[in-house]
Amino acid sequence: MIQMNNIVKRFGSQTVLTDVTFAVKEKEVFGLLGPSGAGKTTIINILTNQLDADSGSSSIGVTPMEMGLMLDEDGLFPRLSCLENLNVFAGVYGIPRRRPMEALASVGLEKTSKKAVSALSKGMRQRLALARAILHQPKVLFLDEPTSGLDPGTARGIHKLIQNLSDKGATIFLTTHNMEEAVRLCDHVALLHNGSIVEEGDPVEICERHNAVKMTPDLEAVFIKLTGVDLA
Amino acid sequence: MRSVKAIFIKQLLDIIKNRMVLIQFVIFPVVALVFTELVAKPSEEMADSMFVTMFACIYAGMTVLATTAGIIAEDRERRSLRFLIMAGVKPYQYLLGIGGVMLTASLIVTVVFGLMGGFGGADLLKFVAALMLGAVASVLLGATIGILSKNQQAAGAMAMPLGMILGFTPMLAMFNDTVKKVFGIFYTMQVDMLVNDFAAGFLKPALVILANVTVLLVMFVAVYTKKGLRS
Repeated sequence: MIQMNNIVKRFGSQTVLTDVTFAVKEKEVFGLLGPSGAGKTTIINILTNQLDADSGSSSIGVTPMEMGLMLDEDGLFPRLSCLENLNVFAGVYGIPRRRPMEALASVGLEKTSKKAVSALSKGMRQRLALARAILHQPKVLFLDEPTSGLDPGTARGIHKLIQNLSDKGATIFLTTHNMEEAVRLCDHVALLHNGSIVEEGDPVEICERHNAVKMTPDLEAVFIKLTGVDLA
Repeated sequence: MRSVKAIFIKQLLDIIKNRMVLIQFVIFPVVALVFTELVAKPSEEMADSMFVTMFACIYAGMTVLATTAGIIAEDRERRSLRFLIMAGVKPYQYLLGIGGVMLTASLIVTVVFGLMGGFGGADLLKFVAALMLGAVASVLLGATIGILSKNQQAAGAMAMPLGMILGFTPMLAMFNDTVKKVFGIFYTMQVDMLVNDFAAGFLKPALVILANVTVLLVMFVAVYTKKGLRS
């Protein structure tokens, strides 16, 4: 469904992506793993047509209307309430007026529907951004570090929601530097280091391949073994 | 059409909740009222509505321009625009929605100015039409600045001095003929001429304003085509 073939991207003299190739199957939860600055957001920006690659090709197999996005910056309207923010997008998508409230309920924000975005905590803003991403029930969902900086409770809530969306048949592309999160959520992962994919496959199989299964599969150990770089 | 409507509603709600912007729509009518009631006219030859027409021109030249630029720059800076465009909103639909709110607000403010100035009937229509033409030009110029600016600070740095030149030159021209001649080609000067002297004829100043609108439209299209709203 989602494909990237031999993508190269440079910013000035710096090459940030080198020959990146991967494929994501329909209804799969795909995790792109790597530390900050590895090139994860650049890959999402290229896939979502916000950035042009210098060479190579990519496709996501759906129209922009069938795609949901939760990016590094939430892009919410700060003075509008949670519900008003979602109503704007409901108007753009032309979806039923009940959907914004349903989306808020699915991320546990129904009681703060009238609260201005500027008055929300970071975790609540993240959840609202996720509600906006799933508002129109997209076929493909891009989540850029969806639990970054969140407390464990809120992160668990988002994990649960991602699993629910996957169960309902959405294809999910998520980036993270949290290896535990990747093992818990993803059917398929790619490990990205300095703009190159250094390993790819089923997370448990990758861990087994690199003798990194302790009590639970340890993708972080695989990453450190392959790159010599700690994720922290 | 539904995207334009969604952006229109979003911007209307945002302006109502944004006191700093809302105050800009209210301040000039209030100042005009205070000056009209409390300050003596500099000369008996001047019309009773001189403060109203003066501040109405400042409004059309400065407030509309700076606010339009600020709104677009803020949506860019906060990346809200990026999400709208990713959701399928075409850049022209976004600009129509924002421009629509600015012109609707300007229509209300302009009618208030007109009624304060004691205009009625055909004169009120001419007054509103002249200022709305000026507002259209300011929206185009503001949108161009908004597209060129990476953030609100940059938009303000460009829009405010430009808005002050456009908004205040008609007032300065009252006291200086050179200013009147040099800046006569600007739309705000022509709007000022129109609203101050209906008897002098509508056509020539209206044509100059339309020429301004055309130039600004070409400039806007050129900037929009080159820079767009994607980044």
